[in-house]
Amino acid sequence: MLTALSGVSFGSILFLVASGFSLIFGVMGVLNLTHGVLYMVGAYIGWTLAIQHGHNFLLAIVAGGVGAAIIGLILDQGFLRRIHGMLAQQVLLTFGFIYVLTNLCLWYWGALPRAPFTAPTLDWSFPLAGLQYPFARVVITLIGIALAVFLWWLQSKTKFGMVIRAGMNDKEMTVGLGINYGIVAAAIFLLGCFLAGAAGVVGSQLFGAHLGLGQEILLFAVAVVVVGGLGSIPGALVGGLVTGLVVSFGTVLLPGLAMFFVYLVMIVVLMIRPTGILGRAITD
Amino acid sequence: MAQTWQRPVARFGPYVAAALLFLILPALLPTHLQSVWSRLVIFAIFAISLDIIFGYAGLISLGHSAFFGVGGYANALLLTKLGFESFWIVTPIALAITVAVAALFGLIALRVTRMYFLLITFALSQMLVAVVNTWRDVTGGAEGLFRIPHPDLGISIAWNSISLYYFACISLIVCFFLMMLVVKSPFGLSLQGIRESEPRMRAMGYNVWLHKYIAYIISALFAGVAGIVFTYHNTVISPWNLGLEMSALALLICILGGRGTLWGPLIGAVVITLIEYFSSIYLPARWPLVLGGSFVLCVALLPKGIAPYLQRLWNRLIYGSAKN
Repeated sequence: MLTALSGVSFGSILFLVASGFSLIFGVMGVLNLTHGVLYMVGAYIGWTLAIQHGHNFLLAIVAGGVGAAIIGLILDQGFLRRIHGMLAQQVLLTFGFIYVLTNLCLWYWGALPRAPFTAPTLDWSFPLAGLQYPFARVVITLIGIALAVFLWWLQSKTKFGMVIRAGMNDKEMTVGLGINYGIVAAAIFLLGCFLAGAAGVVGSQLFGAHLGLGQEILLFAVAVVVVGGLGSIPGALVGGLVTGLVVSFGTVLLPGLAMFFVYLVMIVVLMIRPTGILGRAITD
Repeated sequence: MAQTWQRPVARFGPYVAAALLFLILPALLPTHLQSVWSRLVIFAIFAISLDIIFGYAGLISLGHSAFFGVGGYANALLLTKLGFESFWIVTPIALAITVAVAALFGLIALRVTRMYFLLITFALSQMLVAVVNTWRDVTGGAEGLFRIPHPDLGISIAWNSISLYYFACISLIVCFFLMMLVVKSPFGLSLQGIRESEPRMRAMGYNVWLHKYIAYIISALFAGVAGIVFTYHNTVISPWNLGLEMSALALLICILGGRGTLWGPLIGAVVITLIEYFSSIYLPARWPLVLGGSFVLCVALLPKGIAPYLQRLWNRLIYGSAKN
């Protein structure tokens, strides 16, 4: 029971990260490997504001998101625009940014890992099934649910979402109808990066912040979107939950092999249904 | 009007330059630079092997390090834990293991194309990393395997940095010409056809899947060679050598040098190794920044690599015009 619950809260964080990753992929066709590092930058910014300067936790979440979005703006407008449609080059460019940003973080924040932290108001636990269950984990799950509802609303009930869906279906036709799809794509890229940074602050309640975090989160985000379906928000939700549960049960039952099972699930899904559980075929 | 000196220079010039760079120069360098040169040569073998599937068949793999690592780990295990000694016995076994893994991975990965191929090769190599990290008794876990002996070739050689270098260099030469044979063969040409238009090749009656599968295995075989030579040179192999960084580095070398040429990745490896070497001397704490920066700048400024520019420069030098 506890394993399942912690799997769900872990899955919520994975959903927070992977939804942005998946949106960027679905709208722009870019596999943004920098995503995990943006999460890490968000976590560090959150630590600086919430712990070092003692600001409000909510402010830290927003600031983490904004910081990541600014980096995303530079990445998108400065670099990704130049190599539109070149898959291998995009992968390498965003991979290079992992090194650059990780090293800059090392420069600024140093190599010392930061312990998990949370807001004082959330820092209590309640008894559950004979053990103390931290309230922060409940909040993480609630944030995940809230974001899922928001993104669903954005994608299916607003004009903006209509343009996104149209673009995913047939980009040329959408542009042909006089819609400035470039702006929409750029906005989605920023939103995705914002979500990564904000997720970093939310997730720091479980993982804190350290320099290897970027890679770890990236590996999870890739697994989540592949399992759920590239470019699909409900897919990211399902994938996040599946991966979160696989990891927390894997850690309890067969410690050390949890990551192995994550990749195994990912490979099996790619073999049986390459588009993921809830994904649609991506046309190039 | 071609002059008499042009033909031999155009024909043999690159070979003379390569011989100077790879055979003569290292003998004159100080010891620590000789081992940098060995690394360069090993990375060149690895990146050129990736060029067969990436440059010729157009498959973007983000898991090529799997075969480098399998070859290397198989070699290291046979030498350190299973008591084998002779190079001539160990190498074929290690390569057979690499090919077997590639044959299995190929069946899985080649069910899908493009982005999904990239993701599945990535997942497969990361799965190996997870296995190696966990299966500590056999693979040494995160520390990896160490104290790998020098190659036992059956003849007595004094192993030092220069003889180890020539060992790596001979491997490169052999591999380069073998891979050249592969890509210049009708098989290599049909791979290029697949890269340009898969449906057309299929319509012409080619078994596209089988071509890709064989190319994948050949490419893995040479990556395995690179891994084997690496274990002899480095004497340590760790999970890092199986991971994402290695695969991305090989892709970068291919793109930086110019994909689909074989000699492009060779030049890419020279450039990247020199960047790595100088940044580790002058900016030791910032070298990931320099490496990442070179990823970013290379891709943003030279998305097609150095090779086309070099080709043009070469033609201008020899023929006095940019036209071929």
